[in-house]
Amino acid sequence: MTDLIKLRGVNKYYGTYHALRDIDLTIRAGEFFSLLGPSGCGKTTLLRVIAGFEGVSAGTVMISDRDMANVPPNQRPTNMVFQSYAIFPHLTVAENVAFGLRKRSDIAKSARAGLVEEALEMVALGGYGKRAAHALSGGQRQRVALARALILKPKVLLLDEPLSALDKKMREHMQVELIRLQRHVGITFILVTHDQEEALVMSDRIAVMFAGEIGQMDDPETLYRRPKSRRVAEFIGKMNFLPGQVTALSAAGEASSGAPLAGHAPGTVPPNRTNRLLTDLMDKIAPGTEANADTDTAEEAAASPEVMTVDIAGLGAAQISVDQAPEGAKLGEVAVGIRPETLAILFEGEMPKRHECPGVVDEVVYYGDMTYYDVRIKDVPQPLTIAMKNLIGRPVLEVGAACRVAWDDRALVLF
Amino acid sequence: MSVGTSLTQDQSRAIRLLGVPFVYAVLLLAVPLGAIVLFSFWAQDFMAVDTTFTLDNYREIADSPIYAMLLQRSLMVSGIVTAVTVVLAYPVAYFISFHVTPSKKSLWLFLITIPFWTSYLIRVFLWKVILGYNGVINSGLIQVGLIEEPLTFILYNVNAVIITLAHAFAPFAILPIFVVLEKIDRSLLEASQDLGESRLSTFFRVTLPLSMPGVVGAVLIVFIPTVGDYVTPELMGGAGGKLIANMIQTQFLQLNNAPLGAALAIVAMLCVTAIALVFVFLNRRWLRGRR
Repeated sequence: MTDLIKLRGVNKYYGTYHALRDIDLTIRAGEFFSLLGPSGCGKTTLLRVIAGFEGVSAGTVMISDRDMANVPPNQRPTNMVFQSYAIFPHLTVAENVAFGLRKRSDIAKSARAGLVEEALEMVALGGYGKRAAHALSGGQRQRVALARALILKPKVLLLDEPLSALDKKMREHMQVELIRLQRHVGITFILVTHDQEEALVMSDRIAVMFAGEIGQMDDPETLYRRPKSRRVAEFIGKMNFLPGQVTALSAAGEASSGAPLAGHAPGTVPPNRTNRLLTDLMDKIAPGTEANADTDTAEEAAASPEVMTVDIAGLGAAQISVDQAPEGAKLGEVAVGIRPETLAILFEGEMPKRHECPGVVDEVVYYGDMTYYDVRIKDVPQPLTIAMKNLIGRPVLEVGAACRVAWDDRALVLF
Repeated sequence: MSVGTSLTQDQSRAIRLLGVPFVYAVLLLAVPLGAIVLFSFWAQDFMAVDTTFTLDNYREIADSPIYAMLLQRSLMVSGIVTAVTVVLAYPVAYFISFHVTPSKKSLWLFLITIPFWTSYLIRVFLWKVILGYNGVINSGLIQVGLIEEPLTFILYNVNAVIITLAHAFAPFAILPIFVVLEKIDRSLLEASQDLGESRLSTFFRVTLPLSMPGVVGAVLIVFIPTVGDYVTPELMGGAGGKLIANMIQTQFLQLNNAPLGAALAIVAMLCVTAIALVFVFLNRRWLRGRR
C-alpha cells in the first residue's frame, strides 16, 4: 500500500490554546483509519486540517505527495461526511447527491442522472431521489451524505462522527455497512470517533489521541492487547491496574530451563480431559489456541529474547515476555494491567489453574450475555473487575459469594 | 364532576381567554376597515354624506387618469425603495451574521436601531438639509469643484422620496435577513466547499436560496408600509413627487370628500394585497423545502 496522506510536525493553535501538538501521521491508500479520542482531544480539528477547513500553525499536510498548504477545501481530493450530515434542506435527495457534480467537467452532463441513481443504490436509497431532503430519517440522511461524497470518487473520505446521532441498533448496522462500502469502493476512509468499540470494529489502524497528541497508533488488536500507556489502556476497553514489582530479568533460555512458572502445578490438568472452562479461558487469551497452554508459553518464551519476573500485589509472581512491557525494561515498581475478560472465576468443581487465588464477590453487573463481577482479593488494593460469559449452566454469583479467580501470565501488560 | 360540566368550564375559559383579544381586534382592526369599506360606497353631498349605496367613487377612479397615474407612481416608488433597501440591507445583514464575532452581534444590531432614536420627521428634515439646494451634498461638491451649479434632481422629486424612505426602512430589511442568515447551519457552507464549490458559488447555491424567506419577509415589510406613506412625499417630493397617499389625504382633509378618499384607499389596499400575495406565494415555494 502506498502512502496517501502524510502529516509532518503538524501543530495548531487557537490563540494560546494548543489544539494539535506535533502530529506525525501517515495514512496508506485504501486504509480504513480511525482517529479515536475523548471529546476535545483534537481529532475533529485534525480531520478538518486534512479537509482544508483549518489551516496549520506549523507543519505540512501532504496528500498524494502534494503539499496542501495553499489548497482550499474545494480543490482537495477529499470529501467529508459531516457530523450533522449537512444535507441541503432546499434541495431534493437527488439534487443533494448531484451537488458536487456541477464543477466536474470530466463527468458528462448526460451521465449524471445515472451516476446519482447508482450512488443512491449503493447506499440502499434507490428510488429516493425525488424526495425532499428534510423528509428523511437520521440514517437516511447519513446515507445521502455518504452518496453525495462518494459520487465524486475522492481519494479520501473523511467521516466526522458519522454514527453518533444514530441509535444503537442503527449504529451497529451502519458500522457493518460502512466497512462493506469501504471495501467495495476501495477509497481511503478516515473516521473520527469517540466510541472505542466503533473504532475497533471498523478500522485497519487506529490513532488514539489525547490533548492534541497521538497517544498510540496501531491496528485494533495490538492497540487492545498491548496498549503502550495507561491512558490508552483506560480509554480502550476496561482494564484493572495493580501495583507490581519487577524482581528479575532473564534471558529466554534461563526461564524455560529454570523453575516452573509460579503457581503452576504440573500434572493437575489431565491433558486429554475436556474441560470446557479451561478452553473458555484459553480462548479468551488467545482465540484459536486449544487447551494446551504449557507448550504455547514455552514456545513464546523461547522466541522472545528476555523474560521478566513480576511480583504482583495480592496475586503473586508472574513470568512475562518483555514485549508485554514498555521498552527498556528494568527492575522496580510497575503498574500491571489485566483486562476483565482475561480473568476468570472458577466455578464449583472446576480444575485448578496455573494461577488462582480466592476472592469475594463485591459487585455484580448483569449484561445478559456477560456478567461483570468486582471481586475483592486479599492484598489487592481495589476489587478486580472480571467479565464472565453467561454460558449454559453457569450460575450468576451473588454479592458476598466466595470464589476462585484464575489468571494467566500472558494476559498481563506492564506500564 | 361530569364530562358536560368540565366541557362547559373549558368553553367558558376559552371565551374568557379569547374575549379580550377578540374585542380588541374588532375595535381596532375590523371596525375601522369596515368603516372605510362602507364610506367608499357612499357619496359626498356638499357638507353631508349621502348614505345611499353607489359605485360612483370607483367609477370616478376608473375614469380619471390622475388616480391611475398616482397609484402607478406609488407602486413604482415603493418597488424601487424596496429593491434599493433590500439590496443594501443584505450585505449589512450578511456581514453581521458571518463576520461579526458572536459576542458583538447584539451591539451591532443595537447600533443599527440608532436612527430610530429620533423622530421620523426630524430624519426627513435632516435629509432636506443634506439634499437641499444649498445643502451638504451640493455645497460640498461645489467646494471641491466637481459641479458649478447645485444639483436639483436630488430634492423635491421622486428621487428624494426614494432616498429618504430607503434610509428609514433599512433596519426593517436588515433584521429579517439577519435572522434567517443566523439560522443557516454553517456546516452546509462547508459541505458546499467540500463538494467543490468556491466561496462565491457557495453563496449563490446555498446561502442565498436558504436566506430567501428572510428576503421575501424584508420585501413585504418594506413594500407594504411605503405604499401608504404620505409624510415623505409631502415633505420631500415637491410638486412632481406626490403619491396616492397624498391624494387620499387631500380627499379626506382638503376636498372634504371622504367617500372618494375611502374608495381610493380601498383600491390602493387591493393593489398592495395582490402584490403581497404574490410574495407570500413565492415565500411558500422557498419554504417548502425547509422545515
